[in-house]
Amino acid sequence: MISDVLAKMQAAAENPQALKERYLAEGRKIVLTAPVYTPAEIIHSMGLVPMGAWGGDTQLNAAKKYYPAFLCAIVQSITELGMRGVYDGVSAILVPSLCDSLKVLGENWKYAVPEIPFIPMTYPQNRKPEYALDFTVAGYRRVIRDLEQITGSSFSEERLKESMALYNEHNALMRQVSAELAAHPEITAAERSAIFKSAWFLRREEHCGLCRELLDELKNNSAGNEKKIPVAVTGILADAPGLLKILDENGLQIVADDVAAESRQYRTDSVIGEDALYSLARKFSARDCCSVLYDPEKKRVEALVETAKAAGARGVLMILTKFCDPEEFDYPLIRRACTAAGLPFVSIETDRQMENHEQAATIIETFRDMMED
Amino acid sequence: MVFMGIDIGSTTSKGVLMNEEQAILAQHLVHAGIGTSGPAAVKKELLAAAGLQDEDIDYTVVTGYGRRTYAEADSQVSELSCHAKGSAFLFPDVRMVIDIGGQDAKVIRLDSHGRMTDFVMNDKCAAGTGRFLEVMAGILQMDVSELEQEAAKATQTLRISSTCTVFAESEVISQLAAGAEIPALVKGICGSVASRTAGLVRRMGVEEKVCMSGGVANNGAVRRAMEEELGTEILYSPLAQFAGALGAALYAMEKAGKEKEHE
Repeated sequence: MISDVLAKMQAAAENPQALKERYLAEGRKIVLTAPVYTPAEIIHSMGLVPMGAWGGDTQLNAAKKYYPAFLCAIVQSITELGMRGVYDGVSAILVPSLCDSLKVLGENWKYAVPEIPFIPMTYPQNRKPEYALDFTVAGYRRVIRDLEQITGSSFSEERLKESMALYNEHNALMRQVSAELAAHPEITAAERSAIFKSAWFLRREEHCGLCRELLDELKNNSAGNEKKIPVAVTGILADAPGLLKILDENGLQIVADDVAAESRQYRTDSVIGEDALYSLARKFSARDCCSVLYDPEKKRVEALVETAKAAGARGVLMILTKFCDPEEFDYPLIRRACTAAGLPFVSIETDRQMENHEQAATIIETFRDMMED
Repeated sequence: MVFMGIDIGSTTSKGVLMNEEQAILAQHLVHAGIGTSGPAAVKKELLAAAGLQDEDIDYTVVTGYGRRTYAEADSQVSELSCHAKGSAFLFPDVRMVIDIGGQDAKVIRLDSHGRMTDFVMNDKCAAGTGRFLEVMAGILQMDVSELEQEAAKATQTLRISSTCTVFAESEVISQLAAGAEIPALVKGICGSVASRTAGLVRRMGVEEKVCMSGGVANNGAVRRAMEEELGTEILYSPLAQFAGALGAALYAMEKAGKEKEHE
């Protein structure tokens, strides 16, 4: 039954702590991966479990020692959870250098949570030229060296190729799931979020299995007669339960997303060549349409409009993470492009400590009214 | 048929009764908003003014910050949608509505049919809202309604920060300590609200014609400051504060009509 598969994914999404304990009890070593893109395939290939660390909805107290109030709440909440001992037991945290706040996270982490080693993944700003591949591969080699020293695991190119193949398979499954969900308005925004969020915590092999089960169930079950308003969602994160509830209460269905923690992860596959590390670097180089990846042409903007239209979305909702500079730079461009395309557009600013969603509820209700008119 | 629109704001409750010819039968405002007896008092006064009974009302739509707390309504609609509809009713040619209420500010764009096509809301911050004016009036020991008259006496303007109510409060206190003229200070306070909201308007791009709705629209000093900020005339109706309730009454009429069609 769909509900059984969803329940497993929801359990993982809602309680990654339990999964962490399970993996540790099984004798596995865990490496945290901070937003937005990390070479999780390398971690996986070394027999370690990569688990996403995107923070959580919580009050920020301890982390205030290291950050001003106007810093990205995702970064602040990752540090907060680390300082509170939520990540205790993991072997390391891998933090990429994809935005200024993430660089700050890595540097502060060393002092805030010294018991969990920080491994930097430094990416090149210009990722397309050939010389950028050498730079990226040098970053991977540093990651491998640190992982070997910290965990005692060893790296092999062949095992990396196997992991890359598994990640490609998972990408394809997630793309299929996303497309299939668009035809199933009975799946709520909260359930959709759990499908994507659980992928950050469950081992890839397990999540692939659940995705296959889910796809079978979705294909074998008719969508029912529920009428919802199809929308596309963009942003870094779209997992706040209070916000998702408002989408569901207002009868909005997410038919496509350009969310960094969701579909942006699964757009690009590895083309596995002879040299595994260079193949992985080419995957990063091929990534596009993302606010944290340098793009003077801002192709993301038009791509989002096209994705929304192709999915039949009647409007675009931008969930803007407060103090996220890369997303804020894209906001006016996206707003203008959606308006020009005749797609009603709204943005809702969120952070990781929102308890009252009254303003968001008003915005979503009005957004629904605009699309219904 | 009679339709009622109730707008429960953070500081006031407003109501409008309308018939099927879209004629306003009564309007009433009570200075008590969400969580008070304000909405019930508004209804009572509306019925008394129109000489009607409870059962004469065919359909009620509630809007405003307190819309979820009013169980007597047939349905609820967001205040942005209601202000858009109410303002288009007051000014059929209007393309942009600036609604400054007790605790937030909104800018709404309308198309030539009066349909809302875009909107922005302020951050969760009292700066640029009616609350800002209340706080400042409190420091100056005035009623908010006196601010316009006081600003009219000014021969100069003292600039007050539009960034933060708390900072602006200490700025005003410092100005008072330095012996600043009250009218110039009040004019600066009104200018601060206009400046903050003008930033929101510019985010969408100024469209002719612009009107103001919400309680702050009644303050002529803010309207004039807004005109200077935006370089365009601001349309104003004495019913500006009722625009939300008016829109709710119009929605009530539409929704009642749709329900009748389904019967």
